[in-house]
Amino acid sequence: MADARRTFGSRFRRPLIGGAAALLSLCVSLTTFQTGAHAETTLRARLNADILSTEPGDRRDENTDGVLLHVVEGLVASREDGAVGPMLAQSWTVSPDGSTYTFTLRSGVTFHNGAPLTSAEVVWSLERYFRQDSRWRCKLDFSGQGIGNLVSMTAPGPATVVIALDRAAPLLLKILARSDCTGTGIMHPDSVGPDGAFKHPIGTGPFKLGEWRRNQFVDLIRFDKYAPLPGPADGNAGGKAPLVDRVRFLVIPDGSAAVAALLRGSLDVLDNLSPTELGSVRDKTGVRLDIAPTMDFYCLLFQTNDPVTGDERLRRAIALTIDTAGLTNAITWGTSKPNNSPVPATSPFFGSVQSELRKPDIAEAKRLIKESGYDGRPIKIITNRRYPQNFDAAVLVQAMARPAGINLEIDTLDWASQLARYGSGNYQVMAHTFSARMDPSLLFNVLIGDKTRDPRKVWSTEDARAMLQQSMATDDPVARQAAFDALHRAFLEYTPAVVLFNTSRIAAVHDNVKGYRGWAGAQPRLWGVSIN
Amino acid sequence: MLAYTFKRLLLTLPTLLLVALIVFFMIRLIPGDPAQVLLGEGADQASLAALRESLGLDKSLPRQFLTWAGNALQGDLGRSIVSDEPVIALIIDRFQLTAVVVLVAVALATIIAVTAGLIAAWRRDSGIDVAVVGTASLVMAIPSFWLGLILLLVFGLKLGWLPVVGYVPFSESASEAVFYLVLPILTLTIIESGMLTRMMRSSAIDVLQLEYVTHARAKGLAERTVLARHVFPNAFAPTLTLVGLTLGHLLGGIAVTETVFTLPGLGRLMVDSILARDYPVVQGCLLFTAVIYVLVNLIVDLLYPFFDPRVTAQ
Repeated sequence: MADARRTFGSRFRRPLIGGAAALLSLCVSLTTFQTGAHAETTLRARLNADILSTEPGDRRDENTDGVLLHVVEGLVASREDGAVGPMLAQSWTVSPDGSTYTFTLRSGVTFHNGAPLTSAEVVWSLERYFRQDSRWRCKLDFSGQGIGNLVSMTAPGPATVVIALDRAAPLLLKILARSDCTGTGIMHPDSVGPDGAFKHPIGTGPFKLGEWRRNQFVDLIRFDKYAPLPGPADGNAGGKAPLVDRVRFLVIPDGSAAVAALLRGSLDVLDNLSPTELGSVRDKTGVRLDIAPTMDFYCLLFQTNDPVTGDERLRRAIALTIDTAGLTNAITWGTSKPNNSPVPATSPFFGSVQSELRKPDIAEAKRLIKESGYDGRPIKIITNRRYPQNFDAAVLVQAMARPAGINLEIDTLDWASQLARYGSGNYQVMAHTFSARMDPSLLFNVLIGDKTRDPRKVWSTEDARAMLQQSMATDDPVARQAAFDALHRAFLEYTPAVVLFNTSRIAAVHDNVKGYRGWAGAQPRLWGVSIN
Repeated sequence: MLAYTFKRLLLTLPTLLLVALIVFFMIRLIPGDPAQVLLGEGADQASLAALRESLGLDKSLPRQFLTWAGNALQGDLGRSIVSDEPVIALIIDRFQLTAVVVLVAVALATIIAVTAGLIAAWRRDSGIDVAVVGTASLVMAIPSFWLGLILLLVFGLKLGWLPVVGYVPFSESASEAVFYLVLPILTLTIIESGMLTRMMRSSAIDVLQLEYVTHARAKGLAERTVLARHVFPNAFAPTLTLVGLTLGHLLGGIAVTETVFTLPGLGRLMVDSILARDYPVVQGCLLFTAVIYVLVNLIVDLLYPFFDPRVTAQ
């Protein structure tokens, strides 16, 4: 028996000691993990999907732009009210005919590699955006269909850049400042290798690009030599001082996991929260909500070439069945305001004309339906679940249209399929969303255009195109307001689409985070944000 | 054995060719345009056409297939449309993590299933049997994302024992990597142990009724010895087949578990690529999964004779 015990002891002693050591090491690691003592300040924010690339304006989406706008800056940037403010350019002048812009660069600005900012780097960056194989989204705006054709980009002096177009272009600055064009971020030529291949962005922004571990995180490192503009942050413009050593964008696709991470303290800023997730963070100790109205819009698009939805009376009838206020309240959980105009509610051009909501009128809808000869045949409404608010809108519109005798059938597609249908114009009705654009002309521009050349456009009438051009041809606020009023009235009359609401950007933020504020541009801004 | 292995490997070639054909054409049958997804809703027709041309999507489908298949035969699965990374590097990078999680989870699930299944069969119709069968049925019915979230909330949020998001590779810190992988492994282990337990119990009940087991008992062998030496090897073969199928299935990706625990594995890569219509990555992932499936099943077939001498590798 003693032998057996000895055998047992000798056989298991080593594994037992090994196991105890492993357990001890596990406990030590756990303690280290839980205390998480860091010498540097790190602000952790959530991305719901990984960025697509680190090259501004190339492979991009909303998340990519949001991260890279911390790294690169353009000549100008969008302010919170939709106006444009200086960024790398301290001032600019416009030629009397409105076609040539002369920018004077700010002094004392350096790139992340220590090189000073000069006009040479600005022209190099702009030429890169305009090269033939560039995927820069704003390239299309510099054409006959957009604000005008580009004539030249020159650098007559080390601090002077001249951009000339073939016509007056009052919207040039707004185009250059667009977030979805990464603010036309200026980079140093060393961002590209000798073979012409892009390496990493060397910008002038408050943060330098650190490590990008795909599908896990993107690190941004404080740029110590950053030269902030005076004053507070204002949209993507204004003072953008980096107040933390490091920003870590964590890729967390699952909403519930992200909420758990925030509540656990593994995340400081949970941005882009869905209204349906509000309940899980509302009234939680140590967490506050930041809700900021944005300039995007959710809408129903009509295919005006379709035999059924091509009838203006039927489109108006569908619009008259919708209780926009009730729908918006239900879908956005009270976080957004209803709006029937493509002019966002936060825009300075959102006036008394735009603020009036269409009143539901079933009797009038029935009269229009009878007049149009609609026989109750099914009308397909395409939607998706990637943006749950699109799906919810389709369901509610279907229910609201039924009492008027309109037979809407929902067809739920994945986002890629819906985008393809949108691009080809192959649909009758579509619940769709357009990302934030800081000027109403740019928002009307997503709807108006020549359908024969660009099937995604829903409003192709000559007068609509003329009115849009009119709104783009002047920078006089009074004349522009008149143009937007006229566009809005014509939009309600012709009803190529029904705008439903502008969403709000919802963020749940830990109490130890100071200075975080959402804005109409619907992008995270982690400059000017500190952490205790 | 070698000839049998070689023959089986040769037989995989037509399977893989068929998989390649089906995958290539099926993904293109799904509506959606990679160029449109990449450029977004603001893209004009000219930009879309230019991007399609640069990606080779303007060529005829047979020509696209031949180009891709020719490159694949040389080990080049192309580059991701979305990230421009080589597909083979993407797959290998993501598979390492998925493989660790799946192999450990299936190994643990097998140990649990063999033990619980044998005991339940041995004590058939007892309270233990009812408990084992009930628990196995319950975990089979639980969706993995739900269990994952519950474990995350309990061990990550309430108790604070384990991290709720993120991942540290083993190459960086083995101890931290273990912490990040405990919950996903636990989730998979629990989910997969249900079916394996039921299978092990069922085959063990059959074996326990055979004459040689009665003979072994009549010889006076201890019950533990009867179970370990006579029942387990003969009852394990069907469970081994199921382990093989489970491994093949899971190694192809555990997208849901990876999404809940923010693990950058093969499953998430595949789902993201399907949603983005990233054709080269989807094709590469599915072909890779098919190869894994074939190899795992081959290994299982080669292991079979060790557990069931009636089966020979012929």
